[in-house]
Amino acid sequence: MSPRRASAAGAAAALLSLAACSNNPYPPADDTLKVRYSALPGPPKTLDPAVSYSALEHKITANVYETLLEYDYLKRPYTLMPGLARSLPEPRSLGGGRVAYRFELREGLLFQDDEAFALGGAGRTTREVEAADVAFELMRIADPQVTSPVGSTFAKIEGFRDFSARLEELRRQEEGFADLRIDRQYERAGGIAGLRVRGPHQLELVLSEPYPQLLYWFAMPFTAPVPWEAVAYYDGQEGRDFFKDHPVGVGPFKITEYEKHFRIVLERNDNWYGIQHPEWRAPGAIYPSEGTPEDAAAGLLDPSYRGRPLPFLDRIEYRIEKETIPYFNKFLQGYYDASGIIRESFDVVIHEGDLSPEMAALGMRLEKAVDPDVHYLGFNMNDPVVGTPAGEKGRKLRQAMSLAVDVQEYKRIFTNGRGVPAQSPIPPGIFGYDPDYVNPFSQLDLERGRELLSEAGYEGGIDPTTGKPLHLTFDLGDPSTRARLTYAFFVNAWRQLGLDVVLAATTYNQFRDKVNRGAYQIFSWGWIADYPDPENFLFLLWGPMAESESGGPNTANFNDPRYNELFLAMKDRENDARRLEIIRELLGILEQERPWIELLHRESYSLIQPWLRNVKPAGLSLPASKYQDVDAGRRAALRARWNDPVVWPAYALGVAAVALVVPGILTFLRERQ
Amino acid sequence: MELHVVQNLMILLLVAGALGALRAARRSDLWRKAGRELLRRRPVALGIVGLFVAFALLESISWIGGAGAEGGDQLALHEPRSVIDRLFPADFKERSYSAPFAGAEFYGGAALRYPGRHVLGTDILGRDVLHLTLKGARVALLIGGLTSLIAIPLALLLGISAGYYGGRIDDAVFFVISVLASIPSLLLLIALIMALGRGPVQVCVAMGVTSWVGLSRMVRGETFKLRELDYVQAARALGVSEFRIIRRHILPNLMHLVVITFVLMFSGLVLSEAILAWLGIGIDGSWGQMIDQARDELSRDPIIWWNLAAASAALFGLILAVNFLGDAVRDILDPRTTWETR
Amino acid sequence: MLAYVIRRLAYGFVTVLGVLLLLFVLFFLYATPVEMARRAVGEKAPPEVLQQWVANHGYDKPRLWNAESPSDTLLFEHFRRMLTFDFGRSDADDTPIVDHLRQRVGPSLVLTIPLFVIGLGVSISASLFVAYFRETYIDRTGVVLAVLGMSISILLYIIGGQYLIGKLLRWFPISGFDPAPAMIARFMALPLLIGLFSGLGESVRFYRTVFIEETSRDYVRTARAKGCGDGRIMARHVLRNAMIPILTRVVVAIPFLFIGSLLLESFFGIPGLGSMTVDAIHGNDFAVLRVMVFIGALFFILGQIATDVSYTLADPRVRLE
Repeated sequence: MSPRRASAAGAAAALLSLAACSNNPYPPADDTLKVRYSALPGPPKTLDPAVSYSALEHKITANVYETLLEYDYLKRPYTLMPGLARSLPEPRSLGGGRVAYRFELREGLLFQDDEAFALGGAGRTTREVEAADVAFELMRIADPQVTSPVGSTFAKIEGFRDFSARLEELRRQEEGFADLRIDRQYERAGGIAGLRVRGPHQLELVLSEPYPQLLYWFAMPFTAPVPWEAVAYYDGQEGRDFFKDHPVGVGPFKITEYEKHFRIVLERNDNWYGIQHPEWRAPGAIYPSEGTPEDAAAGLLDPSYRGRPLPFLDRIEYRIEKETIPYFNKFLQGYYDASGIIRESFDVVIHEGDLSPEMAALGMRLEKAVDPDVHYLGFNMNDPVVGTPAGEKGRKLRQAMSLAVDVQEYKRIFTNGRGVPAQSPIPPGIFGYDPDYVNPFSQLDLERGRELLSEAGYEGGIDPTTGKPLHLTFDLGDPSTRARLTYAFFVNAWRQLGLDVVLAATTYNQFRDKVNRGAYQIFSWGWIADYPDPENFLFLLWGPMAESESGGPNTANFNDPRYNELFLAMKDRENDARRLEIIRELLGILEQERPWIELLHRESYSLIQPWLRNVKPAGLSLPASKYQDVDAGRRAALRARWNDPVVWPAYALGVAAVALVVPGILTFLRERQ
Repeated sequence: MELHVVQNLMILLLVAGALGALRAARRSDLWRKAGRELLRRRPVALGIVGLFVAFALLESISWIGGAGAEGGDQLALHEPRSVIDRLFPADFKERSYSAPFAGAEFYGGAALRYPGRHVLGTDILGRDVLHLTLKGARVALLIGGLTSLIAIPLALLLGISAGYYGGRIDDAVFFVISVLASIPSLLLLIALIMALGRGPVQVCVAMGVTSWVGLSRMVRGETFKLRELDYVQAARALGVSEFRIIRRHILPNLMHLVVITFVLMFSGLVLSEAILAWLGIGIDGSWGQMIDQARDELSRDPIIWWNLAAASAALFGLILAVNFLGDAVRDILDPRTTWETR
Repeated sequence: MLAYVIRRLAYGFVTVLGVLLLLFVLFFLYATPVEMARRAVGEKAPPEVLQQWVANHGYDKPRLWNAESPSDTLLFEHFRRMLTFDFGRSDADDTPIVDHLRQRVGPSLVLTIPLFVIGLGVSISASLFVAYFRETYIDRTGVVLAVLGMSISILLYIIGGQYLIGKLLRWFPISGFDPAPAMIARFMALPLLIGLFSGLGESVRFYRTVFIEETSRDYVRTARAKGCGDGRIMARHVLRNAMIPILTRVVVAIPFLFIGSLLLESFFGIPGLGSMTVDAIHGNDFAVLRVMVFIGALFFILGQIATDVSYTLADPRVRLE
């Protein structure tokens, strides 16, 4: 190597290491923009609004696919308001149990710009949103090829299943039908009878039975308008994306970069009606001016925001962060705007239920919210030992096991005291939740548990048929170390009764296989609300939903005639006193029968950086980003202050290496001479 | 028969077998010398490995009965407990974390049941870390030992028959070897475990299947050479049975390969179990699992270090001793070849 | 010569068939499609959706034998797909696996190639250095350090490295990835450093043995007798003559560059093939796992053939077997 080349290489290396030596994961140029930095725990599987059914994906789709209805950003309990629709539709009874809803779309709504629209006419980059686009999306849910997970919900629309069947039939029978453009296929199949497009902006839905919860589904991306052009164009052929990776919607943001394994970038969509028509002052396009007193205290009703047109952000960036620890550490370095609190870092951050002094000094805020969910341990009620076949004996066993579980202690150890101990499946914030209700079997009482156990014939936990401790299996669909550690807690609890419960931790597949074959005894599960209604929780124990009957989500296979009857009476009622009464009775059955040992309604704590404004925690997936704002200047200043590298160890290491090696070389050379 | 009784018997058999092998080795001049040389060169490493083996043996022998349950753990009365378990009080548990020698709980500061007696602290479930670490020795030895028990006979059987008989048998064995050797070993290991299922035996079988290949290839080559040696040819000409030739002339001349491979393979196996534990498909109670559990605890504040430290130190100590031992064994038994480790 | 290459290729092909057969036994005689479907479509999906998924992925065919049309079986499909590099779709997200591979091989190579090149350079110079000072305390310290280094689990290197350099010292981002030229160096720095250190002990020890063996040969003594300097002997003669064992090791390692690093990529959030494999393990995406095993084996076999052929070209003493 010539000296000149060597120096050039040296300079290049120095430059490279200089560029490398900073822990800022973002280009410096972005420091001054209103960018909201978020993290996702994994890549989205699909952003197809008809298919996507996870909170993670809804975070993104909620920004891209705006819906006909929305939840008010601040009001609690959750309240619906019009989104793309002009108003909330009223149910109109047609007799015989049939009900009709009429949605009226705003005029002059535009889809985001996209090259797919050239399919509808050369050179077109967008077009107006019509009622037919909503109908198209509903037909996609019915399309068996789309494999939408919510088909059974919308099957209440008249002719929904017929449409699926006709479509499938035509695809199978008629040569070339499957190659037709997707909208033509739907047209040929004759559409859904109970779905009537009345003019460009009116859509009427006819349901075969009353279903007041329907409106909630129109606040979820499943029912957002979708242009047929995008579905037809993005088919994965000739270098085009798949539709599930290339959303085209009406939302305030649009996806501009989709590297789903490390970065997803959304930018402001200038075609959005809030930006095009601020004069409409549509409820979904301005910052709310009403909220609770807590909101006012939390600065969510700041006069500088009230009534201002949305959105405030220029860009939203999602990074994939699979490991929680690096994510949280980057948050502490200022590279994420908000973060949940992981178990491990809890004690750094929270001090006696509030922000620790260190965190408060950094200017951070803490937001707490109880999620509308329930976590529970379930018994397989078909099992001959723990289930219904064991009769009274089984019930007492379940009651005893329920009494041995110390939820408070579980909460203390595994969730750092976060969460509301569940007394029933219904979480706070949902109709039917009673803060004063105490389930007698959800309290720790080992004495009573041992009594019940001996009444059940298992004196001291001994199974009289074998003369040994009763052997039960806890089937776990997660072989991770962390899961085993967590569930060992319950095993230890039941040991105190003398029961020999073994954790059978397998992969998720093997667990599902056991569930399918009915070969499981005890399991653990959770459920997050789709919408704020008790029906969404109580149906988890409804007989016809049993795993063994219909493959439904009633994994406990609980099938109690009285419960089933009451559930039917409850599910379609308005939230009145009678409904509350029925719910009380339903919960009473669960209290005694104990198909579940309810554990917790989780409580999420989020940490908010001082530069992020207008964050209101929500258990449901809401399009929150359009309400949020970022103070970029403050962020840049704080980041610089928090990230001064510590360099002396590098020098120390170098000196130590030289000190170790040089004397050796010197002696060696001396001896050689 | 009860599981723990079977286990105890197996351990007894194993110890008896090991003693028998030692006695047999003592009769051979070569092995006796090698043993003495090893003891001279690496006394400390030998001692450490011996200590770990002792812990593993003590953990493997268990019986029911003895101490009663004080803390309300009714089941403990009916469970087999190993010698190691019996070195600790029957209910040596706290509610959650406590630091080494601490008198109070780490968070909240409630009083401990056994203040100052948890030498390495307790983990999130309040279990004594020293106790868990000692128990881990059994898993580590199981990984190395059981896998070798599977891999070595397989490698010898296939390698010798391929090398000795040649022809079709050699073709078949060589094909199997080249198929298995061509799959990156960690991927093969993962694929096997996903197919066989979780569990200590499955993991060891999978590791056995992936690790017999190297030894077998060496055995095959060496047998080729041995077969052509004069005295083997002579024995053949005299009509000595093939089984006898293999037993008398071939097998003993392969033993140094086996011993070297065994020692060199051991550390690699235990270290790869740590990776499997991280992937969620390791063996329960292994140090790898403890490390995986503890990695998140580094970001607790104040930091929880004793879990990670205990498991890493145990793993590191054993592997280090075995590695030093491996170097020495290799130098003593086969100084000519350049051995590639792992 | 040509005949040898052809024979070698043919045997390689047969080995590939063996690998495929092994994969079939592991993944089709064991895993059931309906469960894969549930994992893919979601927990809340009803049975008919699952059936649809199974049908869409072609997992509803007979496994081994179909009397009506013998080619319409999972066995045949498996071989056809793999051998035509079609690979089908991922079980987890329905994307063609070829697309996945194309997207994710880049980030893997961005990590593994520098790691490989720098690692080779550092470990060879370190072991030359140690071998040069053999029998001194530098050598002995070097060997002890190498054994110490290789006794530490890679998990600890990563956990410790992220904690120390990423969190406490704040030199580089703790994890992440950005392919922009201005950003890539700072994301790669930490995984490179950790990867380098974790592999150093083992390779230094190996190369040192090779070099020391080489220095004890006659020609070195001759050269020294002729008055050649030690440094010159090391650089000129020893290094050159040790090339064959070094090359063998290096060529064998090259195929693995494409598979990526399971641990480094997962911990550092690098969206390469290694983290894809880990995702496939966690998500029970057997389709992807099969393809990764197959590709790993394929590259390995090709690498072996290339090594063998180049030996016969380079060294006339190597017989054509």
